[in-house]
Amino acid sequence: MEDQKPLTEQESLELITKMIHKAKNGFHESGTSAILWGTVVGIAGLVSFSEIQWNFSIGFDIWLITLIAIIPQIVISIRQARQRKVVKYEESSVNAIWLVFGISIFALSFYNNVIPAISDKFFAADGFELLIKNTKTGESKHFVPYILSASSLFLLLYGMPTLATGIATKFRPMIIGGILCYIYFLISCYTPSKYDLLLNGIAGITNWLIPGLILRACYLKERKENV
Amino acid sequence: MFKELDPILHSQLRLAVMSLLIAVKEADFTYIREKTNSTAGNLSVQVQKLKEAGYIDVLKQFKDNYPQTTCKITPKGIEAFEEYVKALQQYLQAGKEG
Repeated sequence: MEDQKPLTEQESLELITKMIHKAKNGFHESGTSAILWGTVVGIAGLVSFSEIQWNFSIGFDIWLITLIAIIPQIVISIRQARQRKVVKYEESSVNAIWLVFGISIFALSFYNNVIPAISDKFFAADGFELLIKNTKTGESKHFVPYILSASSLFLLLYGMPTLATGIATKFRPMIIGGILCYIYFLISCYTPSKYDLLLNGIAGITNWLIPGLILRACYLKERKENV
Repeated sequence: MFKELDPILHSQLRLAVMSLLIAVKEADFTYIREKTNSTAGNLSVQVQKLKEAGYIDVLKQFKDNYPQTTCKITPKGIEAFEEYVKALQQYLQAGKEG
């Protein structure tokens, strides 16, 4: 582009439109983070469902891989920050949404792990005891409360950042993924816990893995065009 | 009465740079060069002019031992750009009516 050429008003307006269009459309995330988390949650959900469905154990809680996945996520974030040539306005908001989502996921896991024992103690301190009765044998025994359909709460949480990101970035696969997640949440309210785990795994795939792979394909295509 | 078109903005490369920067939070010098298809020398001169006018902020730093120049539009730059677009619209409207 030269700078000496005189511009007419029409040309100025066309140039502004063209450059804004280039800035708005000419950049795709690599999709690496979405692929990572989609794979991790997908595997964890499907494995935990399989363990209950076919009555076997892999010897450890598969959901622990979500903690391990934080390490590659940190590496990805640092590398992306180094390679970044442009920062869009919506990126800051989207990053904030995912940071808050990360905090919320750990807060919810904490809640699910702590509340049953704490509630049991509070009941005991007030002089109450929860009992569970077997209606066939008539036998009653002490019952430690638990969070009913806890996996549904995770599905609800997964949907929020995905749908918000999809809307903010006008990325249809994430909008669809987010909406599907709310549908899974509604279904999970009526299904036994093992199917809630299956829905968690499916949510990981439709929410993040598939949109991540689509994002990756767009990114690679764009890179090829720029070479 | 027509507003005079801002001479700082009424230039092909400077207008292209400002149009890019109005659409993003901040951009690297190499990104701007790629998108405007300009030479580093020419772009450098025009970026300097925009900086002197107070329309953009230019941050020079080292990233992994390589120099990196980041450009960001200022509130004054946004105001000037908006005024420029308004003036353009006036000219084009007058052209249609005339």
